[in-house]
Amino acid sequence: MGKSIVITSGKGGVGKTTSSANIGTALALMGKRVCLVDLDIGLRNLDVVLGLDNRIIFDIVDVVEGRAKLAQALVKDKRFDDLLYLLPAAQNTDKTALTEEQAKTIVDELKKEFDYVLIDCPAGIEQGFLNAIAGADAAIIVTTPEISAVRDADRVVGLLEKNPLKEESHLIINRIRSHMMADGEAMDIDEITHHLGVPLLGIVLDDDEVIATSNRGEPIVLDSNNPAGHGYRDIARRLEGETVPLMKIQQPKTGFWAKISHWFSRG
Amino acid sequence: MQAVVLRGNQDGYQIVLDQAASFKEIKETLRELLDNLAADSSTTNQISFDVLSNQRLLTAEQNQELEQLFSEYEHFQIHKVIPDVITIEDAIHLKEQDNVHLATQTIRNGQTLELKGDVLYLGLINEGGRLLTTGNIYVMGTVMGILQAGYPSGEDKVVIGDLHQAQQVRIGEQISIVETDQPVESSQTVAYVNDLHVLQYGQLSDLRTINPKIYHQMGG
Repeated sequence: MGKSIVITSGKGGVGKTTSSANIGTALALMGKRVCLVDLDIGLRNLDVVLGLDNRIIFDIVDVVEGRAKLAQALVKDKRFDDLLYLLPAAQNTDKTALTEEQAKTIVDELKKEFDYVLIDCPAGIEQGFLNAIAGADAAIIVTTPEISAVRDADRVVGLLEKNPLKEESHLIINRIRSHMMADGEAMDIDEITHHLGVPLLGIVLDDDEVIATSNRGEPIVLDSNNPAGHGYRDIARRLEGETVPLMKIQQPKTGFWAKISHWFSRG
Repeated sequence: MQAVVLRGNQDGYQIVLDQAASFKEIKETLRELLDNLAADSSTTNQISFDVLSNQRLLTAEQNQELEQLFSEYEHFQIHKVIPDVITIEDAIHLKEQDNVHLATQTIRNGQTLELKGDVLYLGLINEGGRLLTTGNIYVMGTVMGILQAGYPSGEDKVVIGDLHQAQQVRIGEQISIVETDQPVESSQTVAYVNDLHVLQYGQLSDLRTINPKIYHQMGG
């Protein structure tokens, strides 16, 4: 029996889908059987990020309405020999096409087959959100170091506390720009974690390559040298119970003279 | 013991109802008693009786029946019915009004914690969270959301604590936008509604002049 994890944030555009794709891929790279479930019905894009959009035949609404078997709707990622699958969302309807019970039934069914079922939650806290948390054992809350994202994350944490899942929620702080954090322009990691009162699962640095690889349908974790990909691999290892120290946020490189003047200014 | 006993003391006349007697019995005995009294007394003054019902709570109908009985006599009336007991519901209400509630939970964006009576708040209120109570609020935790004392309309309440990070402080129907009003960063801040019905910030040391009632209640 596998574990289902919902990836949610409240606010849109903080990287839920990117995180789902990358954590799922990282787990598959570790040899786990993973099914990604896209619940962003009407605005699906997890398939695009994974580069599987051309292979979709049936979707989750087809399964619910009996037009297809669950196994038929799963799209296999050929890069990972039988390890990574996607259950795509429907594109021609909306979030109300699914009820909480139906979502839960599907996730429970998938949990029998897979080690991890990762549910990509749509933005917002309406029906789509309720469907996404209905079948989840745990939640990963994604936020960015911006006040708007943290505020919405706080709202979602509150909603999750009201309907507690089996396991404790965890936090991912995404799109960290190291130079802004070093300057104190962006919110600090400790500050965000303390504010939300949710244990930190990992941090992911902002990197242009994340967008570039997404556009090619290749999750960034496949690039072993990329810092953002590194962040997602650390997160996957922590999900597997390993103890991985938090990645250091590198200070922007300063020139020789700047360093010298820094020494003198200390006194 | 008789079903109804008449007593007199310096405060006036009292009629004591035996709690073991049936209400019917009480009514009959009471009528007898009042008949005798009316026959005996030559006074033309009104006499008011306190009715002590002991550990019996009279229903509204029973109260009415007693009133009616007394109204048949020109010079007699009921001053007050005084039982020794109250309902559990009233007791809870009293307790809630009187108690200082200890609240420690985090109130997050979009959440509202509604309480009755005074609140000592030790938790964290994030932006967009609301703490609502009918009484006063004493804050020791961190407040970045909205505090409402004297909900819905008690303007005699106060909010005490460090309020400089809050979004709004509300007392009764008065609202202060903290960003505009800028209370100082101090745990000694008192928010109160002044005589002009404006929410204002003062110092704890001035509580005696701000709100003598609360000052004395706190044992100052």
